Amino acid sequence: MENRPLEYDYSVSKLFIYNTLFVGFIGMFVGTYIAWEMAFPSLNVIFGDGAIAEYTNFSRLRVLHTDSVIYGFVLSGVWATWYYVGQRVLKVSMAESKTLMVIGKLHFWIYFASSAVIVVSLFMGITTSKEYAEFEWPLDLGITVIWLLWGASIAGLIGLRREKTLYISLWYYIATFLAVAMLHLLNNLEIPTYYASGGIGAWSHSVSMYAGTNDALVQWWFGHNAVAFVLTTPIVAIIYYFLPKESGQAIYSYKLSLLSFWGLMFIYLWAGGHHVLFSTVPDWVQTMGSVFSVILILPSWGSAINMLLTMKGEWQQVASSPIIKFMVLGSTFYMFSTLEGPIQAIKSVNAIAHFTDWIIGHVHDGALGWVGFTIIAAIYHMIPRMFKREIYSKKLMATQFWIQTLGIVLYFTSMWIAGITQGMMWRAHDEFGNLAYSFIDTVTVLHPYFIIRAVGGTLYLIGFVMFIYNIYKTMSARQVEESELQNATPMGA
Amino acid sequence: MFHWLEKNPFFFALAVFVTIAFAGLVEIVPNFAQQSRPLIGTTPYSTLELAGRHVYIKNSCNACHSQLIRPFKSETDRYGDYSLSGEYAYDRPFLWGSKRTGPDLMRVGNYRTTDWHENHMWDPEKVVPGTIMPAYRWMFVNNTDIDTAYAEMLTIEKFFGVPYNKPVPMKDGTTKIIKMGATLNEARMMALEEAITISHDMKNQDVIDAVALGRIPEIVALIAYMNSLK
Amino acid sequence: MNKIYLWGFIVTAAMLGFTYMSVIGSKGGLNGDIVNILTAAAAVALVLITVFTVIKYVRQMQVDTASGELANEKWDDIGEYLNPIPTGWGILFLLTMVWGMWYFLIGYPVNGYSQIGEYNEDVAAHNTKFEAKYKDITGDRLIEMGESVFLAECKVCHGLTADGIDGTASDLNVRLEANVVKYHILHGSNSKLMGTENPMPNRYGIMNANTDYSPISDAEIDVVSEYVANGMTGEGADVFAGACAACHGADGKGQAYVAPNIATFDIGLVVTILNHGKRGVIGGMPAFDRLNTKQKEAVGAYITSLSAKE
Ligand code: HEC
Ligand code: HEC
Ligand code: HEC
Ligand code: HEM
Ligand code: HEM
Ligand SMILES: [Ca+2]
Ligand SMILES: [Ca+2]
Ligand SMILES: [Cu+2]
Repeated sequence: MENRPLEYDYSVSKLFIYNTLFVGFIGMFVGTYIAWEMAFPSLNVIFGDGAIAEYTNFSRLRVLHTDSVIYGFVLSGVWATWYYVGQRVLKVSMAESKTLMVIGKLHFWIYFASSAVIVVSLFMGITTSKEYAEFEWPLDLGITVIWLLWGASIAGLIGLRREKTLYISLWYYIATFLAVAMLHLLNNLEIPTYYASGGIGAWSHSVSMYAGTNDALVQWWFGHNAVAFVLTTPIVAIIYYFLPKESGQAIYSYKLSLLSFWGLMFIYLWAGGHHVLFSTVPDWVQTMGSVFSVILILPSWGSAINMLLTMKGEWQQVASSPIIKFMVLGSTFYMFSTLEGPIQAIKSVNAIAHFTDWIIGHVHDGALGWVGFTIIAAIYHMIPRMFKREIYSKKLMATQFWIQTLGIVLYFTSMWIAGITQGMMWRAHDEFGNLAYSFIDTVTVLHPYFIIRAVGGTLYLIGFVMFIYNIYKTMSARQVEESELQNATPMGA
Repeated sequence: MFHWLEKNPFFFALAVFVTIAFAGLVEIVPNFAQQSRPLIGTTPYSTLELAGRHVYIKNSCNACHSQLIRPFKSETDRYGDYSLSGEYAYDRPFLWGSKRTGPDLMRVGNYRTTDWHENHMWDPEKVVPGTIMPAYRWMFVNNTDIDTAYAEMLTIEKFFGVPYNKPVPMKDGTTKIIKMGATLNEARMMALEEAITISHDMKNQDVIDAVALGRIPEIVALIAYMNSLK
Repeated sequence: MNKIYLWGFIVTAAMLGFTYMSVIGSKGGLNGDIVNILTAAAAVALVLITVFTVIKYVRQMQVDTASGELANEKWDDIGEYLNPIPTGWGILFLLTMVWGMWYFLIGYPVNGYSQIGEYNEDVAAHNTKFEAKYKDITGDRLIEMGESVFLAECKVCHGLTADGIDGTASDLNVRLEANVVKYHILHGSNSKLMGTENPMPNRYGIMNANTDYSPISDAEIDVVSEYVANGMTGEGADVFAGACAACHGADGKGQAYVAPNIATFDIGLVVTILNHGKRGVIGGMPAFDRLNTKQKEAVGAYITSLSAKE
């Protein structure tokens, strides 16, 4: 019994992978579409300016983009890896427990159904306006259920584990679970007005428990850490498994993992103040946000450095494997955005960067370079093992890598220029001491950069379509691998 | 110690939770009482204004527009006085935004007018050539949801003591009363009265006719809200 | 030279170039604004630090080899070295923590920073600088200054060329348009154009308060509206003399405390409109509290100059 390799059950993981591809495409398609809308506003009314315009309009679509990439693409990717990595580093199979299988399946299907409801409700304009927490109270409840199911699956797998010590990835999955649970519950305290008023108006509507500055404080404590615990810690969990696994290298340093993890846990939560600099929250909270953001560079870089050093002496792998390339460049973008973020958190810099496209650039070098690439690499690693097949085409994969890299570069450089230009123009006074530019002057200068960004986004989307195609062809090809694969993923020409 | 935690998942999770919960307690809790008091001169939203605020949120105007004037010369020159905490006391949710694709709107009621908004929301490109703001023509057709605004007024009065029908102190020493209907029907009538006043400054015949017939298109509520931002 | 260094160099040069473009693109350049300077410096630091740190690790991938003592455990065949933490990283982590503590506990409370205090200082400095400058601004310079205010504040409504954008706001290249004059004769005017509440009566009230008898006929109204809109020329002088001159003066230039100038713009009139706003047949013109006295005067001079050219 003990000697026979475990048969892991990937059925839940597969469902999440399909959803990652599906929603990833939709979310990025919408992102690309709104990027073109900013460059050419007539696209807002591409289907006429009548009733349909309501649903093709930039402001309705923008939340669909952010929520579908973050909670559709990224979370699905994270859960796909959880249902894969969890079993393997704990040495238990989902198949060993009927309950776990049921939990996993429920987790996916309730999540899938809720996502559909979310899409419809956002199209209808049902939103609370809080960024990344737009959902009204019935959906908040749904999300809570989904989250608890995930928690049950973590607890279940860990409860059955044969590997006594928790691997680094698990630390990060656990932290993700706990932090998001806490953030979600506290940021969404709201009163449904239909019930409070004895049955008047829309039943889905609610009003926040917090007002004004307090609401902002809670929201950005949430918003900042939602970024931390949805776009950072679970991605660190992913790369800590897939990079050493794919390259066959041992993690460079346990101590570095340890310090980075606990450092990140402690410091991240304090930094949320950097979203409300120069606002009406107290000066000391703002200062705290700036100071902790700067300290945060090191625990963030700790993980990235650990990854890069794990590849020490392995340049030939970087050069030859697109999967490794995705992860190494992903780590590099992680370093870039976790230095860029703290720099934008310095008050004087934020005075210019805040409210501009430089922030959008920062978001996307993290989201496209770090988050996107890491998830793509993980899926490229998992699919051949789930289906016992080699990747359909390595050439296609390499092409995808370069196209998407170019896309990211165009995206963040254009937003870098746009943001700094606009930020400085807003501040400029002329020789008479009057404002040098009316607002619209600072919009029209951005036109070329909006076009470049849209081109960059389109390239990234094209790469993503190549990715889906490659995965699809891999899945539907002839089975070639007989036994469990070790290390480097086999790839066809 | 850490290695021990890594073998004891329950305590590991506990340690993580304590580490992350700590910051929230220190940063958020102490500020609560102090931040929520309204400034003198800050009034709750009227029925139509609140409904307009819902229209603003429904269309995610906050995706492009901030409502937070930072204390810089360049911003106070452009938008008026910098924002004060008490001014937001009745804002649930807050609408500061995080991206200024369009200008700040915190005090737009001071320097834009009903007819201007009417033209601008219908065809921004005509009013401001080169703008990337989309047109919002369906707002001239869709009806405003007054009922939900009224439900919200009842809720915030009951739970947060928002002073409807009570004198609110103003800057010049006088007081002002923001009325809330006693019944849903009264609330609807009050909203319509406000809407009629606004429609007097408007030119779109369909909107004027609609209001005359007792319907309130979303644009009217939105303009009421825009005009209230001062 | 190793290819990696070459790439590092290219990336750095490009990003620095982009940063330079952004600063120049905002025409004012750095402008001696400390915030601009710090931002540009921070952008440069961001590029340099990232590029050179990454190069350092890529070099290790290229030339170094993995080594160290392995931990006993393995997870799904993933091993772990017991290597110490990189020294530079450890030291920097410690230093930033010490710096953070210091900044928060000692550096920060001692400085007693307040963003509103900083704002007040900025504004005071700005005002002293420009008050000194304003004193000397007159004539063409004043008009130039007014144009700059107009382009920042007024063109959203009145249009780049002050033509009123198809009648959605007043065309400021002429003093008045015929439809506006006509409207005010029919309905009167009540926009504090004299600085205080001092309405012009409607067509029934010009001579007496009878509400059913108009001393001025429809035809006369049309004629005199054209007359005023044409800058007090053409037909209608007689009607004007009879019905309007009593208040607006024989030349239409208005009389203090009685009625405003309707023949030409003047600085005082524009300043009054900016102080109180205006509502009329075209729409609403907002008041502009946030402009200072000099700016209002300047934009008044600019607007006066627009119609004076003809
Ligand atoms: C795609 C971005 C975008 C969206 C979405 C958007 N706006 Fe705008 N808005 C702009 C831009 C750019 C300007 C500046 C140019 C102009 O006046 O059109 C602007 C200007 C304005 C102004 C004039 C403010 C001033 O000081 O001149 C108002 C009022 C306004 N928008 C209201 C709204 C409302 C209400 C909504 C939602 C229903 C909305 N906007 C949605 C981009 C947007
Ligand atoms: C009883 C005095 C009186 C008479 C007679 C009078 N006006 Fe006026 N008029 C005023 C006053 C006072 C105002 C400014 C009212 C305000 O503050 O809006 C004014 C304003 C106006 C305006 C608006 C100016 C602007 O900038 O929009 C016009 C046009 C005008 N008058 C034309 C006429 C014409 C033409 C006649 C004759 C048919 C006339 N007025 C007769 C007192 C008078
Ligand atoms: C929100 C739009 C808006 C803005 C901003 C605006 N105006 Fe106006 N303005 C109007 C409208 C509408 C009218 C016409 C009012 C009427 O119906 O008589 C007007 C009328 C005027 C008039 C009066 C013309 C007359 O009939 O006597 C002057 C002078 C003027 N504007 C100057 C300015 C200046 C100077 C600025 C900028 C500092 C400015 N406006 C900004 C909308 C605007
Ligand atoms: C050390 C780590 C980081 C710090 C200190 C940091 C700091 C910041 C700052 C200062 C802002 C701008 C706030 C503003 O002015 O509006 C910001 C925005 C943002 N960052 Fe980061 N960042 C970090 C890492 C990341 C990473 C890795 C991602 C992953 C994608 C990310 C995603 C975002 C997002 C999505 C926003 C936009 C939030 C909004 O909607 O306004 N950040 N960050
Ligand atoms: C094809 C790729 C993508 C394109 C073209 C794209 C485009 C855009 C655009 C145009 C915006 C609005 C910016 C604005 O309002 O100025 C945006 C916002 C955002 N996108 Fe994307 N996006 C893409 C992929 C992603 C991915 C993969 C993620 C996350 C994993 C992501 C996360 C976000 C977030 C968080 C915001 C909000 C930023 C903020 O409010 O500060 N995007 N994106
Ligand atoms: Ca919610
Ligand atoms: Ca945002
Ligand atoms: Cu943040």
